[in-house]
Amino acid sequence: MNMEKYLDVINACRFCFMCRHLATLAAATGKEADTPRGHALIADRIRMDKAELSNPDYIRSIYQAELSGACRKHCVSSYNEVGLMLALRQDIVEAGLAPAAVSELAKEFMDVQFKVSGDGDMLYYPHPCIETHQPEIAKAFLSVVPNVKVVEGGDCGKVLQILGFVKESQAVAVRFQAAVKASGCKTIVVSNPAAYDFLKTDGAIDGITVLHSSEVLLKAQLGSAAKLGKLTFINSDFLRNYQDCHAPKELLAKLGCEVEGFGANCEDSYACGEGSMPGIRLFPELTRKMVAHVAGIAKRFQVEAIVTPSPFTKHALMTYAPELKVLAIEEVAAAAKL
Amino acid sequence: MLISRQSYSYEMLRSELTWVVGDDNVQTDCSEKLAHSIDYYWVPEVWHDRGLKPQTPTFIVHPGSAEEVAEILKIANTHKIPVTPWGGGSGSQGGALPMYGGICLDTKRLNKVLEIDPVSLTVTAEAGIIMQHLEWEVQKAGFSTMHFPASIACATLGGFIAHRGTGVLSTRYGKIEDMIMSMEVVTPTGEIINTLPVPRHASGPDLAQVFLGSEGTLGVVTKATMKIHPLPAVRKFHAYLFSDLHSGMVAGEKLMARRLAPSVIRLYDHASTISIIKRVLGIERKGAYLVFGFDGEEDIVDLQMKKAVAICEETAVEDLGTEGGQTWWDQRYKFYYPPYTFQMPQAFGTLDTVATFANIENVYWSMKDAVKEHCPEANYIGHFSHWYDWGCMLYARFIIEKPPQDAAVAVALYNRIWDAAIRAAIKNGGVINEHHGVGLKLGRIMRDLYGPAFNVLEGIKKTLDPNNIMNPGKMGFQGV
Repeated sequence: MNMEKYLDVINACRFCFMCRHLATLAAATGKEADTPRGHALIADRIRMDKAELSNPDYIRSIYQAELSGACRKHCVSSYNEVGLMLALRQDIVEAGLAPAAVSELAKEFMDVQFKVSGDGDMLYYPHPCIETHQPEIAKAFLSVVPNVKVVEGGDCGKVLQILGFVKESQAVAVRFQAAVKASGCKTIVVSNPAAYDFLKTDGAIDGITVLHSSEVLLKAQLGSAAKLGKLTFINSDFLRNYQDCHAPKELLAKLGCEVEGFGANCEDSYACGEGSMPGIRLFPELTRKMVAHVAGIAKRFQVEAIVTPSPFTKHALMTYAPELKVLAIEEVAAAAKL
Repeated sequence: MLISRQSYSYEMLRSELTWVVGDDNVQTDCSEKLAHSIDYYWVPEVWHDRGLKPQTPTFIVHPGSAEEVAEILKIANTHKIPVTPWGGGSGSQGGALPMYGGICLDTKRLNKVLEIDPVSLTVTAEAGIIMQHLEWEVQKAGFSTMHFPASIACATLGGFIAHRGTGVLSTRYGKIEDMIMSMEVVTPTGEIINTLPVPRHASGPDLAQVFLGSEGTLGVVTKATMKIHPLPAVRKFHAYLFSDLHSGMVAGEKLMARRLAPSVIRLYDHASTISIIKRVLGIERKGAYLVFGFDGEEDIVDLQMKKAVAICEETAVEDLGTEGGQTWWDQRYKFYYPPYTFQMPQAFGTLDTVATFANIENVYWSMKDAVKEHCPEANYIGHFSHWYDWGCMLYARFIIEKPPQDAAVAVALYNRIWDAAIRAAIKNGGVINEHHGVGLKLGRIMRDLYGPAFNVLEGIKKTLDPNNIMNPGKMGFQGV
């Protein structure tokens, strides 16, 4: 089983509570099973009795995990609880035990074709999120960096990987890779941190440099965005917890924004389930709870406007807390255009 | 009353509970039951590790207000169903284990900070809030609770109240029972009561102290007001190495007897120094490692530090400097993360005991003898933390590298060591314990510890909880 590659995680996390305060979904649901300890206990039960892999309660918990990576980043030993959950999802799929809703959602992401248009030395991949095109994000980026080719068509394989369909994810990645290679560009820029993570790891393309949009915008000639007033920053889990990319914060500083971190600490994830993006389709009620948790904090600290490099987070917040003002980092940069 | 899932009474009770808290907040699924069947007590851990299934609750209920807690307890009284409160579930004594099934009352939806009073320097919060979240919010307002236990990341405010918890700065800022101003409590029969708003009064006995340390046997704490403090201008540490435990102990005692006001003192025995201090802090020395710290206004801190240093210089064999102390502070939680902490397949127990300075070293040696007598292959280590004017806490531990594979045999050995060590401690003036509580693990010892006074505690329990629904079988009280 794939989960057996993570026995060290099971052994370390099953009786450990030291990251519970950062368990993102658990903070919204209060459930023990939504913590890395809860996940590791479930994995341990399955390790001891393989038949338990078909336990519908365990399968639901495994798919509900929000995969923020906040606990892994906090852990002094960096135990990879995210890897464990992804391995369990892969085991579920390979055993033919994926719930119907998961399989149906996965099918939507298998049959994708990519096409490249435009002209430039750099390739921009705007596909931002799970179920919306969020055209304002691409429009804002392209208003600052217009001379790029654009690759479109759908998700490059990350969603399928998150769902546990690893072989299918790789098949999509190969098609994406072919489109990128055919473009002749050596650099690809993405607005979606999930794609950034995928293209830096399992979906990496030989000879191609991957940049997040904020890394490119950092080098653009821009003025001040201070006129936007006080902004509160919600980071992307993929950028902060997976890839240690701090370009968005550097960009905001360069733009002269008055920026404050969201909430009362810098370790919590407020990305509303970005790490497991398809969760918004599978368990919308859980996304709503995570958003309600974030909205409650925003209200308590009188947040005026939120800025985030995560299109998913913007989408989730605007769907379930439309009263909040949320800007993508590309939109802030566009406001500073000279 | 144990309820079968197939029975109509199960469904009737479940539906009653959902009327109070909503469908979403009554859980019966395998994932939640598994996660609520094991706390930080080694016995359910080894039970699970050996492929056995610890007792699970029948229902996990998440109330969102004191009123909802009250309604749940009224239902439990009607049906005479046991209720086990669960905060973070990180207690080491089995206090949150649902040993008779029934309702596990998970308090983590009660997680709001209600008010920070910058004039009186207090914070009021719901009791299910995780302590780290509370501390972060208080810090954002420019203050601190000064409550920094190793379990800050996982235990709730209510959990600390339930077990009379302690943080590393207890020497200056006190234990949770010193920090709490007042509490809202739901009694076992479902009344919502409040203790008096200030802790210093002459309006009879202090009711708050009845509930502090009651481990969910006398009710559910739903809200508390605690003291907060300005963030200190400076916080400074210093460490020394002593040739042996006794000379380190004498230095620590002098420091307290001079009535200096350190925020923390910790003294590690030789066995801890050569193992844990080396592994976690990277300080490789033989002897007894002593660290202390002061915080507050810089000139006052410096003056106290100067006097403390002078005391240690008299007998210490090596000055490890401020760096040797600061490292300890920076890494203070690392001791508790795997693989730095003890974990399976090891068997381990923290023989938390508190005693006066006159008795504490005897407690250390007598417990060591007891452990060795009952399990010669066990390692015994200890450090002394939570120093007060009159004595300190001994955080002694036994570790068995390869405990018996059979779960029943392993638990029997484990229980035997605990029993012998704690009885030896009590015989030498020790009290169980300073901050871990009693729970399931040590309930059998309570009557011997208290003598006839335990009848008073039992009387309080019977008066408040006539149907014995609240966390039965814990703290030495009657089971179901």
